[in-house]
Amino acid sequence: MATFGKELIHVNHVTKKFNAQITALDDCSLTIRQGEVVVIVGPSGSGKSTMLRTLNLLEVPTTGEVIFDGVNIADKSVNIDLHRQKMGMVFQHFNLFPHMTIMDNLILAPTKVKGMEEQAARALAMGLLETVGLADRADAYPIQLSGGQKQRIAIVRALCMEPEVMLFDEPTSALDPEMVGEVLEVMRELARKGMTMVVVTHEMGFAREVGTRVLFMDQGKILVDEDPETFFTKPENPRLKDFLSKVL
Amino acid sequence: MSLLERMFDFSFLPKYASYFTNGIICTLLISVVSVFAAVLPALLLALMRLSKNKFLRGISGAYIQIFRSTPLLVQLFIVYFGPFGVITLPSYKLFGFIDTAIFIPGVVALALNSSAYVAESIRAGILAVDRGQTEAARSLGLTQAQTMRYVVLPQAVKNIIPTLANELVTMVKETSVVGYLGVQDIMWGTKTTVGATFKPLSPYILAALIYFAINFPAGKAVEALERRMRRGDVR
Repeated sequence: MATFGKELIHVNHVTKKFNAQITALDDCSLTIRQGEVVVIVGPSGSGKSTMLRTLNLLEVPTTGEVIFDGVNIADKSVNIDLHRQKMGMVFQHFNLFPHMTIMDNLILAPTKVKGMEEQAARALAMGLLETVGLADRADAYPIQLSGGQKQRIAIVRALCMEPEVMLFDEPTSALDPEMVGEVLEVMRELARKGMTMVVVTHEMGFAREVGTRVLFMDQGKILVDEDPETFFTKPENPRLKDFLSKVL
Repeated sequence: MSLLERMFDFSFLPKYASYFTNGIICTLLISVVSVFAAVLPALLLALMRLSKNKFLRGISGAYIQIFRSTPLLVQLFIVYFGPFGVITLPSYKLFGFIDTAIFIPGVVALALNSSAYVAESIRAGILAVDRGQTEAARSLGLTQAQTMRYVVLPQAVKNIIPTLANELVTMVKETSVVGYLGVQDIMWGTKTTVGATFKPLSPYILAALIYFAINFPAGKAVEALERRMRRGDVR
């Protein structure tokens, strides 16, 4: 198994309750190292998206710690905005800003959050747009793009902040089947370049091929945490076996 | 005279027409100024209403409830005899007949009242913006204020503009209370005509026709605006 860099994210006994009845995360712990591609799979309602969203505090844990770069970002006294800059996130429904051109979508955070010069931000954005083959759409509005193009733009928008880790929340689930490939290709390329990634997905092929670790979640618990080979060929957990028999 | 004849007995017009033409100018001016004056306080109230801070939420909620639960006429008199009973305003004549010393208290009362209603439409307009927009902005590191300013509000404006236009239509009718202060709006002109001519019905018919002639097309324009704003509303 490949060796990875320093520990980047450390999830310590995180529990998330939405109310007295619903426990979305039940005492989850997890360590993510630099350069890892951690894929989270599981049935719907298993807590995988909640897990991902706790990593950048879009969901605030009820109890437990989320340590990022040595800081417990779940602590209320921490300025979460500073840490979110370093964690890119890609959503199922793209969430591009519809009232801005693609270029303005891309340079908003670099200029307003990081205080980058507009010229420099544009150059950075243009370079990244070229890597996903969408440089010619810089002046278009999101509504003029296909789903696959929107999602590639959403990835670039996160990359413009030069994050240390990228979080993907079912990035291909809202796409027409013929557009899934182009988005996975961008993600594959990103992984190849050594980006640390946490990916919630139903794409088992991607999990197996690109993932360096695969997590199986069910009922708010992380039940399995294995390398992809073991995960898919020699599953032992009965619920994972059941799950894989349904999706593969 | 039969009822129909009394209704449409506009024989007073040659002499009193200027009450009505001035009234139209005055009513339109006070409506537009009041709604515009209401926008900023309303935005502030809406943001307070959406704030996590209980105190701010409470103040804003109380303001909105008080102004929506008491008659506008009562608010008008309280504003006029309260704050403006202490402050002495300069008396200028706008358009040669609108006295600022009573026009300004009228505008203030209407704007205070209107801001309570507009605040609720702004709040609804903000809440109608998809939550994913806020999440995406926050995930990029934008602060709550930056998210509101660059991402949410520009999109909420689309939802808010038609309701503002609607508020303007309502305001044209609501302004009829300022006649009580002596502001020479349509209603004041009507009552003065009634008093001078002893014709109690037809001047009111004329007033109704004028209000209708303003608001019916305006309402239709708002509907058209709403339809246009709804188009191209895809992410």
